[in-house]
Amino acid sequence: MSALWPFLVLGIFSGSVYGLAAMGVVLTYKTAGVFNFAYGAVAMFCAYTYWQLHDAWHLPAPVALPLLLLVVAPLLGLLLERLFSPLAGLSAEVQIVASLAVLAALEALAPILFGTQDRALRDIFPRSTVLVGNRLHVGEDQLAMLLITLASGAALWWLLRRTRFGTATRAVVDNRDLAGMIGVNGARIRRAAWVVSSIFAALVGILLSPSQGLDVYQLTVVVIYAFAPAVLGRLVSLPWAYGGGVLLGVTQSVLSKWGASGSVADVEAALPYLALLLLLVFMGRGLKEAGTTVRPVASGSGSPAPTTRRLLDRRVALGTGALVAAAAVPLVVSGPRLHDVTAGAVYALIALTLVVLSGWAGQISLAQFSFAGVGAFTAAHLAGSGGRHFLLAALVGMALAVPLGLVVGFLSLRLSGLFLALVTMAFALLMDNLVFNRSDVSGGLTGVTVPRPEILGLSLAGRVGFYELVVAVLGTVGLGALLLFRGPVGRRLQILRDSPLAASTLGVNLTTTKLVTFVVCGAVAALGGSLYGALQQSVTPQDFSFAASLELLLLVVLGGRSLVSGAVLAGAAYGVQLLPIPAGVARFIPLGIALGVLSLIQEPEGTLAQVRRETRRCLSVLRRLPGPPPAALPLQLAEGVSGGA
Amino acid sequence: MGPEPALAAVGVSVRFGGLQALSGIDLTVPTGEITGLIGPNGAGKTTCFNVLTGLQVPTTGRVELGGVDVTGWPPHRRGRAGLARTFQRLELFARMTVEDNLTAAWESARPWAVLGRGRRDRIRRVAEVVELLELGPLLGRRAGELSTGQGRMVELGRALCTGPRVLLLDEPSSGLDGAETARFRDVLLEVVGAGGGPAVLLVEHDMALVMEVCDRITVLDFGERIAEGTPAGVRADPAVRAAYLGETSVA
Repeated sequence: MSALWPFLVLGIFSGSVYGLAAMGVVLTYKTAGVFNFAYGAVAMFCAYTYWQLHDAWHLPAPVALPLLLLVVAPLLGLLLERLFSPLAGLSAEVQIVASLAVLAALEALAPILFGTQDRALRDIFPRSTVLVGNRLHVGEDQLAMLLITLASGAALWWLLRRTRFGTATRAVVDNRDLAGMIGVNGARIRRAAWVVSSIFAALVGILLSPSQGLDVYQLTVVVIYAFAPAVLGRLVSLPWAYGGGVLLGVTQSVLSKWGASGSVADVEAALPYLALLLLLVFMGRGLKEAGTTVRPVASGSGSPAPTTRRLLDRRVALGTGALVAAAAVPLVVSGPRLHDVTAGAVYALIALTLVVLSGWAGQISLAQFSFAGVGAFTAAHLAGSGGRHFLLAALVGMALAVPLGLVVGFLSLRLSGLFLALVTMAFALLMDNLVFNRSDVSGGLTGVTVPRPEILGLSLAGRVGFYELVVAVLGTVGLGALLLFRGPVGRRLQILRDSPLAASTLGVNLTTTKLVTFVVCGAVAALGGSLYGALQQSVTPQDFSFAASLELLLLVVLGGRSLVSGAVLAGAAYGVQLLPIPAGVARFIPLGIALGVLSLIQEPEGTLAQVRRETRRCLSVLRRLPGPPPAALPLQLAEGVSGGA
Repeated sequence: MGPEPALAAVGVSVRFGGLQALSGIDLTVPTGEITGLIGPNGAGKTTCFNVLTGLQVPTTGRVELGGVDVTGWPPHRRGRAGLARTFQRLELFARMTVEDNLTAAWESARPWAVLGRGRRDRIRRVAEVVELLELGPLLGRRAGELSTGQGRMVELGRALCTGPRVLLLDEPSSGLDGAETARFRDVLLEVVGAGGGPAVLLVEHDMALVMEVCDRITVLDFGERIAEGTPAGVRADPAVRAAYLGETSVA
């Protein structure tokens, strides 16, 4: 038997970094109630900053390192604290979206600030090795890694257990309101937690990037490894988080003994996500969400009250009009631009499933593109290499999405809010690592091809024909959704979102409602995936990665997460990015999207509501112009707006 | 014994680890009457409510709805069988209109009767409830924008829209001012007084309200039933005075 222990030792080194990251995640969750999805992005951003200081500006490490750890990282932490503190007490969904938007903003900002060229972080520690035992050479950098993480953990432990500051922190963790009453400055504690958490993230970033490479996406995702140990510590225990990180590192390292490639390697890469998913399932109800006092989200946009009687209301009429207009688009748009419009329409179809799932039923999902991927790769195999009819392939893809929808639906029975978001994220990452990246599924990096369909002898291979097919599908599903939203189905989903407790006591079977919702939305997303495949005619795993699902959520929030038109706007926003925009401008679009999401975070009707509000404000200003208004006018206007229309 | 009980708890006990939250509680809610359930904080009223609605499985004992053993039924099945409740902390469908709150309640209790005659029945029932509770002016408002008093009325209306045989009210007067409480009392009496109205179980801290509207009262203390009887009888009961009424000085 070849020795196992070298792998154990090496695992401790990498695991200690996960542990450090897990502690950073736990720290802000327990003090400020914010689960920071953007933790990896903060680590990445700090690693880039260090590269800029040390490798680009040639500052010596003794200058660059303190500059990063004591100035840049704390400032970033304070900025995040400022951003999240107004959101305290709002629904879990709002906080999740906020931290995902921060993630996207930092990912978008890094190439703008630091350029897009390839780069590698020069080693921080010497590469020389020391001999441990009689055979194992251990890099000094690895030893340093272990020492740094242990020292950071110990320092934090000492701070929390042995100082007055620590006592105050624990008081805030126990009960924020009571701590305030006995004179603990909660805001100061939260700021400190964000600062320490950011410093940890910076350490994680510079410790990981020599081995992981300095890559925006890669580094962000690797830090998601730390979410499993954080959950192991129930998101409150620092020692468990650290220990869990080490355990994870060791398990991964031991697995790597049996294969650098092949299925063992796949499992090794997927292990942290599998652990996260299983931990969430089995610890399920034991996990308590921080900040459970939910203030109702501002809904005072005063949009017209939907009526239950009129079946064909204004929105359906508008939707039909939009559909007719959309069908006529090829008269004015052609060539590659029509391709972009088609892509936007397919995207809108997938976005629609998220509107129904998250905006209506309140079930947040970070895995909608995984379902789309199932549809696309099924179409590639059946209609592409298999030579079957596209319609059959699309139907099989939808059928394959059903069991997956049931899986996610079952997960949603036990979990909600933050934990549902985490478990769907783990699901998406598992699909990426275990299914989509298999070359027999997706053709690896080169991808697989999907043919355009022919229906009833009518070839839809041309741009116009295929576009009309997509518009027909989107129109059917969209109008269907609009009609259903006004009726019993829409109400059933909305009461699930607003109060599952009241819904169940009134007679709603939560289990079947959630399962059916996830299955239907998953199947429609799979249909969208098949169409996407046929549009692009070639698909790769990256098209359906977790990152795609994440972007989808942000675009849907921007468009309006409770509106069918929000899905269409999301599709439009996606389509705009395909236009031939100069790279200098294009780089700013993702940043604009992320910042837009942050500004609209509390508005379920997204951009439209914002536009409506601004219009109303302008109108009210105009109405007031002619003469001196009576004192009560603003109030009357407000009344007229909320009651009328 | 009065009329046939619409809802009954028989020998219900609940244990949370080492804590005996309820020990062998018997409780009957007769048709056509308002039954009060009172007791000091921590007496087990909320646990009792949760057992009745199916949110909490009892360690021993059973729950009967209209003579049928429903102990193993999930909450939604009890809801469809005619059990409706309100919540102490409002559980409105906050982002929906008041009208949709009421309509959704009717539909939830009858998932397969949403079209044709069902639709007409629904519209009629919702209209009745709106008239009874005078909710007309609120119909187009979003439930999340209402005051607590309005919200309590909408929750009551929502429960009534399901056409319940038994109505469980959890602290309906908390957060209401005097005038609102008086109005709630009038409405409650009207709901029950109408022929074929639901049996009501009322958990309430406002002793004046309880004594005024209830036909019979059950008193809990430390998870045990310490008294059961008419308001006058309960008021005079020395055990009750010792455990409870003395503290709140109702007399």
